[in-house]
Amino acid sequence: MLRRAVLQTFRQGLAQSFFKRYAVSLTETTVTHQPIETSNEAGERSVPTQKTGDESRNTVVVAPPEFRFMYPEFLPDPAMETRNRLREKLERMDMLQRRSVIEIPEFYTGSIMAVTVADANSPNKFARFVGICIQRGGSGLRAWFILRNVVDKQGVEILYEMYCPLIQKIEVLRLERRLDESLLYLRDALPEYSTFPLDMEPERRLNNSVVPINPLKVKLRPRPWLERWERQNLQGVEDLNLPQRFYDKAEKVAKPWEKYDLMLHYRKTIPAEEQEKIFAEIHSQLQQQELKRKLRRRRGPDNEQ
Amino acid sequence: MYVQLFFNHEQIRTMSRVKRRTTHPPYWHVLKNVQRGDEKISSDNLRFVREVIQDKYKNKSPIKGSDLDIEKTEWDPKTKRSGVIARNIGVQHMWEKDGKKVICTVLHVLDNHVIRYVPPEEYAKSIIGAKVFRNRKPLGCLVVGAEAANPDRFTKQYCSLFNEVGLLPKKRLARFIVTPNAALPPCTPLTAGHFVIGQAVDVYGKTIDYGFQGVVKRWGFKGGPASHGATKFHRRGGTIGTGRDKARVWPGQKMPGHMGSEKRFCRGLKIVRINMKYNVIYVKGTVPGPTNSIVQIFDTLLPRRKFTEAPPHPTYFPPEDGTLPQEDIWDSNLHVFGSPSISV
Repeated sequence: MLRRAVLQTFRQGLAQSFFKRYAVSLTETTVTHQPIETSNEAGERSVPTQKTGDESRNTVVVAPPEFRFMYPEFLPDPAMETRNRLREKLERMDMLQRRSVIEIPEFYTGSIMAVTVADANSPNKFARFVGICIQRGGSGLRAWFILRNVVDKQGVEILYEMYCPLIQKIEVLRLERRLDESLLYLRDALPEYSTFPLDMEPERRLNNSVVPINPLKVKLRPRPWLERWERQNLQGVEDLNLPQRFYDKAEKVAKPWEKYDLMLHYRKTIPAEEQEKIFAEIHSQLQQQELKRKLRRRRGPDNEQ
Repeated sequence: MYVQLFFNHEQIRTMSRVKRRTTHPPYWHVLKNVQRGDEKISSDNLRFVREVIQDKYKNKSPIKGSDLDIEKTEWDPKTKRSGVIARNIGVQHMWEKDGKKVICTVLHVLDNHVIRYVPPEEYAKSIIGAKVFRNRKPLGCLVVGAEAANPDRFTKQYCSLFNEVGLLPKKRLARFIVTPNAALPPCTPLTAGHFVIGQAVDVYGKTIDYGFQGVVKRWGFKGGPASHGATKFHRRGGTIGTGRDKARVWPGQKMPGHMGSEKRFCRGLKIVRINMKYNVIYVKGTVPGPTNSIVQIFDTLLPRRKFTEAPPHPTYFPPEDGTLPQEDIWDSNLHVFGSPSISV
């Protein structure tokens, strides 16, 4: 049922959480959560035994609202024909199992990442690729992202499936966002915007609670292009300098009413209540995994000493 | 020597006149859903009806294997076991140990209970049994029901099918042909443990309803050229017959029409993972029907993929000493998600 009041608060909530994440530093005390039980078998349990709701205490587990940006692949595909609660739950359990083995860090389109994959045809049996994330999509175990780089003057794009067991390591070398959700226009841009050194070192983040937005405006090569970029309302591209007829045609073809179409946005998103439920389910497990990793990292250099 | 015909009419003729789907149920079907309008019952009366239903079905608890009196029969390679009613809840991607991706269909085994066993002699006398076993030795028939529902929704006739057994009426019923040594007493529960990892199963369901479709999608015709001056001939069928032979359109000529919504089998699908806690089977490949549709699963007919060792016969029962079964059973070839990454 469409409840306008709830939808408005949901969208406000989205906007608020967006700004909180990227403009203002957030303290973790705004979220109430059960005390964390660090046990050795936490990551290996196949069934999440953390129960939400009023089980032992009166506090309700609520995940921070940024989870919907940090872990978008936990949300299912909104198309109603293929949705099933049980299958989504089982898929989330499998995803958490995989995450207990390998760290899949938070990243966005525009972040520079390095992925190490097991490759039988490589000399070391491992292949490492560095690139900028130009697009990410899929939900559940099918989640994927595309990395782009220019190697020996040849543009290379590789699509990685996030939960594929062949992936050994995913590192985020530079965590940042760009002005657009999809950077496919880098294919038509000058090559320097897609070139990153393959031996790039991971950069230290200055501020851990804010993900910086890189306001870079990219220069495109002269036409012909792969897509009609003037029709796509791109923020991260410099002035395209096209003849006026292109912009006139773009206006004719544009659908400015879509941003007012509530039902369209409702169908494309998972309702806020369901999102909260989903993230509350996985929140504690993800926290435990992160803690275990931190402890391992601290113990690592200590052991060497 | 005859001139080769343009169409292979022999092939088409066998498929003509075969009725592919009907909108009405068979004549022997018992009227299932209550055909009544908006009955204005007071809330007190509604509460009373619910109490009556609860009293009637109050003491029905799941029956353990030890309580049922099942004859300890032997399994032999010619045994036909019961099947199971399940719901196709979607598709999940998994990976094998060499890194190859595998598309698996997730099938949720609903709360199946055996309603009735019809012995071979009796089944051979029924109309369908007589047709099926006209030239061969008759086999028995197990009627299995799934998805218990509020008896308020169904007619008295339909509920009477379950009265003997004392079960809540089920939304779905299915018949499985079984050999007499695999017969099960009524009220036996059937779960995901009925199957074995690595076995091949046949899945029987109703295919996706595509509606009225053209000849290109329905029969795989090539249509016409997209350009080069083709006027209004891009997705049409073209010629439908020669002028000479019989001088008419032969029955069974492939034309646009309703596509899908037909009962079909997908044979020989391998089971790669069983989750005993949620009663879920992961099957390699895809099954007929859209997501959330009901299918029937049973041991495969294909001769080279049949059982060589005895499966849980006649069905799976949890061990009597109270030990819980392993919750999540994986095929040996499949990469378990909690295990370390694959290094080639």
